[in-house]
Amino acid sequence: MSQDRLFPVEPADLEETPRLEHLVDRKGLAELVGSLAQMSGVSIRLFNTEGTLLADGSLDSPLLRRLEGVPAARAALSREIVQIKRIDPAGRAERCSSLTGAFYQVIAVDYDHRRMGRAIVGPFLEHPPSQVPPGLAALAPDLPLDLLASLPLLPPERVASLEAHLRSSLDLILFAGHKSLLTSQMHLASISANYRELQDRNARLQQAYDRLRELDRLKSNFLATVSHELRTPLTSIIGYSEMLTEGIAGSLTEEQHEFIQTIHEKGEQLLQLIKNLLDLTKLESGTLSVQRAPTPIEPVLRQVVSTFLPAARKKGVVLELILPPDLPPVLGDGERLRQVFLNLTENALKFTPVSGLIRLSATLVSAEDPEDDDGFALLAPSAEQLEVRVADSGIGIPEAERSKVFDAFYQVDSSSTREVGGTGLGLSIVKRIVDAHEGSVCIEANQPRGAVFVVRLPLASP
Amino acid sequence: MQLDFSARELTIKLVYYGPALSGKTTNLQVLHALSTEETRGRLMTLETKDDRTLFFDLLPLTFKSDQNFSVRLKLYTVPGQVIHASTRKLVLQGADGVAFIADSQASETRNNAAAFKDLKQNLREHGVELGKMPLVIQFNKQDLPAARPEAEIIAQARRGKEPVFCASAVQHRGIVETFAGLFFLTWRSLDRVHGLGSRMGFDERRLFSEITQRFQGQRPMRELLRSAHTAEGQDLSLQVEP
Repeated sequence: MSQDRLFPVEPADLEETPRLEHLVDRKGLAELVGSLAQMSGVSIRLFNTEGTLLADGSLDSPLLRRLEGVPAARAALSREIVQIKRIDPAGRAERCSSLTGAFYQVIAVDYDHRRMGRAIVGPFLEHPPSQVPPGLAALAPDLPLDLLASLPLLPPERVASLEAHLRSSLDLILFAGHKSLLTSQMHLASISANYRELQDRNARLQQAYDRLRELDRLKSNFLATVSHELRTPLTSIIGYSEMLTEGIAGSLTEEQHEFIQTIHEKGEQLLQLIKNLLDLTKLESGTLSVQRAPTPIEPVLRQVVSTFLPAARKKGVVLELILPPDLPPVLGDGERLRQVFLNLTENALKFTPVSGLIRLSATLVSAEDPEDDDGFALLAPSAEQLEVRVADSGIGIPEAERSKVFDAFYQVDSSSTREVGGTGLGLSIVKRIVDAHEGSVCIEANQPRGAVFVVRLPLASP
Repeated sequence: MQLDFSARELTIKLVYYGPALSGKTTNLQVLHALSTEETRGRLMTLETKDDRTLFFDLLPLTFKSDQNFSVRLKLYTVPGQVIHASTRKLVLQGADGVAFIADSQASETRNNAAAFKDLKQNLREHGVELGKMPLVIQFNKQDLPAARPEAEIIAQARRGKEPVFCASAVQHRGIVETFAGLFFLTWRSLDRVHGLGSRMGFDERRLFSEITQRFQGQRPMRELLRSAHTAEGQDLSLQVEP
């Protein structure tokens, strides 16, 4: 599994005693062994269990240098060294003697009752030499005695204390190394456990998310079907009520006429709501097609204004349109854009009181965030947008509500006694159509009161 | 359990489990203090700044009752705090036996029960049923005035399945006994499954004697096991040859 490759450390590793060279820093170990050798005046070398030299604290020896130059002695000494290196002390240490009359102390390096390696201390003498040993004299005649006396002199108690010191230092270093190794293994293992837990949770979240999406899709399908089925009988209701008001089925009293008129009006309202629902579900499911082509914005906005002008006059609200000359066309679907600004203007009219003002305006703007001008020269030309502002002097929208008003069915005032009617679908449709145009819509506050809906649309390429 | 034929050693993992601050680490510290130098390794504690156990404590104990084989015990504690759930689970992995260290104070009854359920759940996630795991229970902190009385604990132990030890880690009381009980049950369980005695030639009597010799007081296994409170007919000490 992939996560096992990511985190290869399993807690089973806790049970393994690691190797000497894994627990210590080689350079630091060499420094420690070197300084011990300097302090005691005798060479110390540290090997792992396989006999690989891990730290070399060899001191210069005039005797050994001299013997190096004598082939027979050199060969004998090499054989001797090979033999000493092979010694694996049965107990804590083992001593062996050299043909020079000196000694080597082979010290076992154990940790947690396991052999980790060995340290070889020597050569050293226990007593000052009285003569060149015969075996050595045979190999290297004329060897002066004082050269032999240059070997370090280490009485048994010094050897014992050096051994104890070396042993306890190494034990502490190995313990510290082992402890950090275990700590890091545990860190890795717990990260790995947490990672798996998070993955499980992610998988569960993903499942829940998929389920919700499926439910959402079912809801949209249901709405589309229901809207369609509702429309058919409604068309009959509207048609027949229209025929009745026209007197096709005979003359009506004034009261009857008024009642039928109300049935007709409410039927139209219901039809509009159903159309909106249908649009919304189509927009949600992505089945509503947006045919984007270079579209001049001016006719769209003029049409919107002329649609609402009678209603505005009736309410005593001023509705004006301010357009600079020569606005470039946007890349959009004229019919859908008209729907956007119809919804926004209707919304503005709904919330603007008598003697209020609604102003539609359009300008060219740069799409870039003014604070972020990285690569401005490159990006600015492609980033021009057309901004249409629909400003009203109504009750305004509190800042906390601004992002929510675009949710379907959302109403800032959701109380049953609210003053203004509506289903809360209009702005949701606006947002979806603008999104389908790769544009943006947001709300700003108007001064001194009211709200401004700001729609930005990409321009058609020149 | 790990059996390394080339190194001729058997490694057994024992875990001290229990709620936070019940004295698991203190158990290991006491075992360390009461064991001989050639047996005990360094007590390793991976602790946080406030001296609470972060990951675990580890006390290695090595016994060589046999010329040919050594038996290495690794005693682990788990961190008791709730936040270290994943660490507890990791340390528990591959455990051969568990000592559950409970806090004797009546106010801790609920925490003891929660930790025990946690143990059961974690074992289950490793595919081990609690009933199959060698398990002893220790009621620690018997020295505290608010501790539940020993008589009450004994009465309950008689009705339960697991051997129960009353202990006071700070007074070094009942700690070696708990360890002996845990080792005894674990050994017998491993022996049944792997034939440690019959197939591999481990001499149980010598090993038990070696182990008990390595702790202060050098009391024989049978005597140590006599401290275990068990159900009728389950007396641990009667299961060891005198």
